[in-house]
Amino acid sequence: MTAVAATLLSCRLARLGAVPTVELEYLAPAEFDLSAVRDYLPAPLHVDGERFEGGERAFYDTFDRRLRAKQLRLIHEDGFLRLFGAGSRELGAVASPSAPATIRPDELEAGALRTSVAAACEVRTLLRTARVRSDRRLVPVLDDEGKTVARLVAEDAVVVGGNDAENSLRPRLRLVAVRGYERAAERVRKVLEDELRLAPAAEPLEDEAITRSGGSPRGVSPNVELELSADMPAERAAAALSLRLLDVIESNLPGTIADIDIEFLHDLRVAVRRTRALQRELKKVFPPDELAHFRAEFKWVQQASGTTRDLDVYLLELDQFTEEVPEPQRSHLKLLRTLLREQRGSERAQMEQALRSERAGKLFVDWREFLERLPSEPADERPSAATPIGEMAAWRIERVYRRMVRMGADIDDDSPAEALHDLRKKGKELRYLLEFFSPLFPSKVTKPMGKTLKSLQDALGRFQDREVQSHMIRGLGSEIATRPGGADALMAIGVLLERLEEHQHDARAEFSERFAAFSAAEQRELVKKTFG
Amino acid sequence: MTRVLATYNIKGGVGKTSAAVNLAYLAATGGAQTLLWDLDPQGASTYVFRIKPRVKGGGRKLVRGKSDVDALIKGTDYDRLELLPADFSYRHMDLALADSKKPTRRLARVLEPLRESYDYIFLDCAPSISLVSESVFEAADALLVPLVPATLSSRTFDQLRQVVADGDGGPQVLAFLSMVDRRKRLHRELAESLQADYPEVLSAGIPNASDVERMGPQRTVVEQFAPRGRAAQAYRDLWAEIRERLEPAVDAR
Repeated sequence: MTAVAATLLSCRLARLGAVPTVELEYLAPAEFDLSAVRDYLPAPLHVDGERFEGGERAFYDTFDRRLRAKQLRLIHEDGFLRLFGAGSRELGAVASPSAPATIRPDELEAGALRTSVAAACEVRTLLRTARVRSDRRLVPVLDDEGKTVARLVAEDAVVVGGNDAENSLRPRLRLVAVRGYERAAERVRKVLEDELRLAPAAEPLEDEAITRSGGSPRGVSPNVELELSADMPAERAAAALSLRLLDVIESNLPGTIADIDIEFLHDLRVAVRRTRALQRELKKVFPPDELAHFRAEFKWVQQASGTTRDLDVYLLELDQFTEEVPEPQRSHLKLLRTLLREQRGSERAQMEQALRSERAGKLFVDWREFLERLPSEPADERPSAATPIGEMAAWRIERVYRRMVRMGADIDDDSPAEALHDLRKKGKELRYLLEFFSPLFPSKVTKPMGKTLKSLQDALGRFQDREVQSHMIRGLGSEIATRPGGADALMAIGVLLERLEEHQHDARAEFSERFAAFSAAEQRELVKKTFG
Repeated sequence: MTRVLATYNIKGGVGKTSAAVNLAYLAATGGAQTLLWDLDPQGASTYVFRIKPRVKGGGRKLVRGKSDVDALIKGTDYDRLELLPADFSYRHMDLALADSKKPTRRLARVLEPLRESYDYIFLDCAPSISLVSESVFEAADALLVPLVPATLSSRTFDQLRQVVADGDGGPQVLAFLSMVDRRKRLHRELAESLQADYPEVLSAGIPNASDVERMGPQRTVVEQFAPRGRAAQAYRDLWAEIRERLEPAVDAR
């Protein structure tokens, strides 16, 4: 290993006050014999009590790897689900006889593990990202008291669920420090690296197993994360962005259909909405006839999934709303939850049918094929095809911003809810433009612009959500009245409606202030100067 | 929610350390993050886990909140079970406490930052009735009190109940029979009367078995060298009953 890497590892092993347990992983060469360690260990360290064990291990994380983002690892082994934090320190464990394909954090046994996992996952369900079966040779390193001060684990693993011959992972050797004995572990590390010339594994076994199982260790991000240059022809930028969005849509489709968690549908819908924003904002790079067809089809996907998403949000927020209703009436809202769940069930069934349909399948195949051939299509009907994307994006950002300023200025206390809704939709357009293209412009302009926009959109979003939610409950009124306990439920719902209206009122009151910041003369000037 | 459980008796040699060590082990193997603090300067629990009885800065610095407790904790040979070792200076812990402000709160203060990392914290206490024990009563959610079937046991237990009841919102008391020889009639009779007289006395008890004595030379818990023995079974039953009988945790003690 390099001197720099060695220093880094020494630092990791030495600076252990905060992160006491440390695990280092090495790739073991084919001819490697762990017994050789005993010849190099400095006294009084010695090895004794070697044993062999085997078994299965399963790894868990959310689709977008929320545990990994928080430096957490959740592993099922030896009948336990175990949560590890930084430095491989175990933070919690719960007995679990099997390793199911999915785990909902809120269904875990109450305790430290659930608290940490639920906080990291939020609404997401845990997926089993890989399973391995391994044979392990455990060699404890002992001190003069016969106390285990470090552990060496040689592991031969295969990915479960595949052809063993093809799925065997590279043999590994792990050095696990025991808390409070880090110096001893450091001495063992020196033996492994300096005497036995082992190289630390760049890729942990878990990541190799996930890759071999057909997954991606980093998970699937809903973000576009594409580097564009300002002089790229607009048609190429449009195609590249749309293709990446199509990847997001398609990767979230199975989880949406299987209803694994509500975030799959959310991410799918955001990607569809972004796709539609690109179709609208960069329309002159696409041939008009084909674009009209795709716009109609994506609109259909968006509409087919809209009510389900609204109900997801509603059910998610219902607990919070319930707390705002006085205690004696809270329990009467159970009926509302039941009805919303029932409605979600039937809406989901329709959405599923649409997403599984031949029409949807054909849309995604055709859209991909269309995007791939777009740059080689004749440009007769596409006047902006070759325009540099930087120029095009600046023009669109400036136009949409100006339009929003005009729309917002027209809104007063008497304006209908639709006016705020329309402004919010425009705001989403601007937000996506900034997300796609802000790297092409100075961040001192795009950052504050994004910030005031977000603040405005939050208020508009709350206004709109409460509008939809009030409307939804009113629609359920007659159904509720016919159910047992309906009268009590209606009374409680009356209180809830009042609260929703108060929230909506508050959001509307916040709108003026936030819009003023968004459309301040200074910001208008800056936008004009940068994008105009 | 962390539960702090202290094995405690005014008398020595009644099976406190054996209980602390074996129960802490069972808690850890059941999936709980567990810490055992060996408060006895003799360091018997520390010895069982083959850990050197040494705490940097000694007991005085520790109880005064001047030590980084995290850095003093040692991993045992078992998953999820960690130890805050004994130190010979703990024999002066009373004096160290007497010199500090609010002495009976000190141990609870030391444990406070550890609560987020552990489901159970066991305190293995030295036999005495002192400022240290008062501090233990403040810190503990429950006292696990081993009672040997001897004529004076009920008197000692009465004293303990009295002391705990005098405190403000003191810990729950859970007693269990220890070192019981079922072949002796006197043991059987005393055991029965203790259980009949005191509702705090659990039905599970620890036999006077050679496996318990073997923990010393073996330097490990009974579950490791005699899992099928009577003693191992007795500790398992005791742990199950303790978990059942523990009162629901209160947020701020």
